[in-house]
Amino acid sequence: MTRLLQSLLDGVGVGSTYALLALGISLIFGVMHLVNFAHGELITVGAYTAYFFFLHGGSWWWMPAVIIGAAVLASVATEQIAFRWVRNASPFTMLLTSFALERLSHALWQIFVSPKQRPFPKPAWVFNSLTLGSVRLEVMDLVTIGVTAITLVGTAIVFRRTLFGIAVRGAAEDFDAARLMGVKANRVISGAFAFAGLLAGIAACLIVMRTPSAEPAMGSEWLLKAVIAAVIGGLGSFSGAIIGGLALGLLETFARAYLPDVATRLDRFSTGIVFIVVALFFVLRPQGLFTVSHAERV
Amino acid sequence: MDVRVCEVTTKFGRSALSSAVLLAAVFVLASAYTATGGSSRDLLVDEMLTNLMLVVGMQVFIGNTGVLSFGHMAFAQVAAYATAVVAIPVVEKTKALPDLPFGLADVHFGPAGSTAFAIAVTLVVGATIGIVICRASGLAPTMITLAALFVVDQLVKNWKELTRGAGGLSGIPQQSVLWLWGGALVALVVAHVFQEARIGRFAIATREDALAAPALGIRLFTSRYAAWVVSMGVIALAGSLRAQSLGSVNPKQFTLDSGILILVMLVVGGMRSLSGAVLGAVLITAGTELFRQLGDPQRLDIERFPDVFLGGTMLLVMLLRPDGLLGDRDFGGWLRRRMTRRSDVTTVAPVSTGAALEATDITVRFGGFVALDGAGIRVGPGEIVGLIGPNGAGKTTLFNVITGLVEQQRGRIRLGDLDLSEATPVEVARAGLARTFQNLRLFNNLTVRENVALSALVAERHRSHRPPVNIDELLEDAGLAEFAHRRAATLDYGNQRRLELARATALAPEFLLLDEPTSGMSDTESLAMVDRARAAAARIGAGVLVIDHDLGFITRISHHIVVFSEGRMLAEGSPADVRANPLVAAAYLGSQA
Repeated sequence: MTRLLQSLLDGVGVGSTYALLALGISLIFGVMHLVNFAHGELITVGAYTAYFFFLHGGSWWWMPAVIIGAAVLASVATEQIAFRWVRNASPFTMLLTSFALERLSHALWQIFVSPKQRPFPKPAWVFNSLTLGSVRLEVMDLVTIGVTAITLVGTAIVFRRTLFGIAVRGAAEDFDAARLMGVKANRVISGAFAFAGLLAGIAACLIVMRTPSAEPAMGSEWLLKAVIAAVIGGLGSFSGAIIGGLALGLLETFARAYLPDVATRLDRFSTGIVFIVVALFFVLRPQGLFTVSHAERV
Repeated sequence: MDVRVCEVTTKFGRSALSSAVLLAAVFVLASAYTATGGSSRDLLVDEMLTNLMLVVGMQVFIGNTGVLSFGHMAFAQVAAYATAVVAIPVVEKTKALPDLPFGLADVHFGPAGSTAFAIAVTLVVGATIGIVICRASGLAPTMITLAALFVVDQLVKNWKELTRGAGGLSGIPQQSVLWLWGGALVALVVAHVFQEARIGRFAIATREDALAAPALGIRLFTSRYAAWVVSMGVIALAGSLRAQSLGSVNPKQFTLDSGILILVMLVVGGMRSLSGAVLGAVLITAGTELFRQLGDPQRLDIERFPDVFLGGTMLLVMLLRPDGLLGDRDFGGWLRRRMTRRSDVTTVAPVSTGAALEATDITVRFGGFVALDGAGIRVGPGEIVGLIGPNGAGKTTLFNVITGLVEQQRGRIRLGDLDLSEATPVEVARAGLARTFQNLRLFNNLTVRENVALSALVAERHRSHRPPVNIDELLEDAGLAEFAHRRAATLDYGNQRRLELARATALAPEFLLLDEPTSGMSDTESLAMVDRARAAAARIGAGVLVIDHDLGFITRISHHIVVFSEGRMLAEGSPADVRANPLVAAAYLGSQA
């Protein structure tokens, strides 16, 4: 029972970070049919921002705001500099553009900072834990779950109640129709990128609180997981992205807790297996768990 | 000589000539480069030649089908290891791989044998995985290729009995650079021949429009799969020769990163063009080397500057020239167009088979909305039937049901004795129904003539019982002769509509199904369309079913008019009858007034 609760807690903790990232990927996919491989780089941007501010006497009191701000700015900048110009090109072109940005980001951090890991101080409370009965609750887990829950509720409110949110949801369903209804494409897409940046910034805060260091390629691992989560949930489906993220987190934690032997043996093949699962998903249920239908008019 | 044999010889000769010219250009550059520097420069030429083979291999699939693959390097990897296990002499092999499975321990092949073995192994592996890749659609194939890459990578690192793990294998007898030049020539010839071959043209059609190609009788899977298998063969050749050029293999040679390097070469040059692939391979190999020299070995950033170059080049090309430096300009294509002679076939209208097109009692529901409610239509052989009705009457839905794009809940479709009720779009097209689309679906990057020639190719293969059509006469009928070598995308709207008509006609169908052929046309143009459509149908002896909003056009062209309203037939009769019918006036004309 204890182990179950513990795994559940850990799984939700990791999974909610995946969910935040997957939501951003799904959001961008919704408005411009792009799987943004550069999305993970927002985490890297956040981490390096934290590193630079700590070099000059930063404090965890205001660091989250700075990290989130940097991620939002970077996200909007990629849209303005790159994605805006390939918006009407083939999905192929957009995908490669995002790939190019990812490469460029890796290389630039390596050249201008260092290929090596750059650590910075962690918040003092991060590894504190409280024991409730027989379950050990890590403060960080609670913070992660709490922050994610608040963010998701906030996101839900934004998408249901505000004009921006409704426009984005409309655009995700059918961009041409949304445009006819007076939705301004540029503003919606910039807004979507800003919002995806905000979600990635929050995720970046949670990630660097746990492992306070910056590394050129740190975003890519997270990106891979987030893309998988978004695919499982059905690209373009917002609730699907959240459930996909949580499912992936729980799956990972439970596999490690309950099947440690199998997990270690399979660890050698982990990426391969995950990708086979994703590939199967694509073949058997290309629309993901949650359908967003796009009927093509002929 | 037999015409067909003659044609095949020409295609092969043209491919060989294009390949030789491209490679000769590369050879001149490479010689100039190596003549001015030390022997280290030879290594760069080796690298460029293997890159060239890999790019060409990728081009065959990605360039011709438009499906992005990240996984080609996995198969180059398979080929490199397959080469290693048979090319390394037995004595050394027993030391490095004491537990080699599959009875490979005593096998030893020469360079040609090893290459052939590697290609065979890769084809078996690749062709198996290709079945899944080519069946999937959207983003799925790309993700599956990525999966293949990771799986092969981990297999190579962990199946130590076969691969010796991370350390790799060495001691492969090294072959001279002549092998690489030979390999590059073979790769280029194979790729050119594929582009000239019928199945290659079909693959290109699916790239251009994945909906229009099946509607012309081109099977997505078959043409994509053919491209995949050929591409695997070329990639295997590249992987095997690379292993034999370096003398060793290790898991780091064919990674996602190196795959992306090759992909950059492809998109920079222009993925639709083989000349572009060659240009990309040369430019990027040289550029990478140049930037490598900018790096500071002390700071270990020797690999980083090339990364900036790659990322930056890819980004710039995507933003400024998404079609690559060459776009559709291709030496082989240019040669083909230069050598195109006027078709000397005389089109004869076939004897009518007397088959009628009949749809009866068709019902289609989209969720709760009933689009068609027991509707039907009949078009006799050689007859021109107009279908009109207000928006939402179900006209286009009926077209989509007849052509197999939408499934009906009830009802039957017959073409003569043939039951097409359950047929797929490909089967419908091959049975003899050719359609046009309301919102144009041309093969945009192909020339006007190539658009029409593609359907003629399908007709030649799958409708050979009908007399062949003369492409040039069809172009003249459509008033497009002067634009024959322009890209379809550059035509104005009216000409694009006429091109769709010509393309459908070239399929030599029993019936033409025209979905709003005059939409967006001026009054004079739509008047002229009456004659063009009639002439086209008469030339191939086809009947016509046509939807249009332009009542003037419909009454002029049709022998018989059917009026739909709310998914049901409201009235039918001669144009005069329909005009006089008060029901029609109320439902259709009334709503327009």
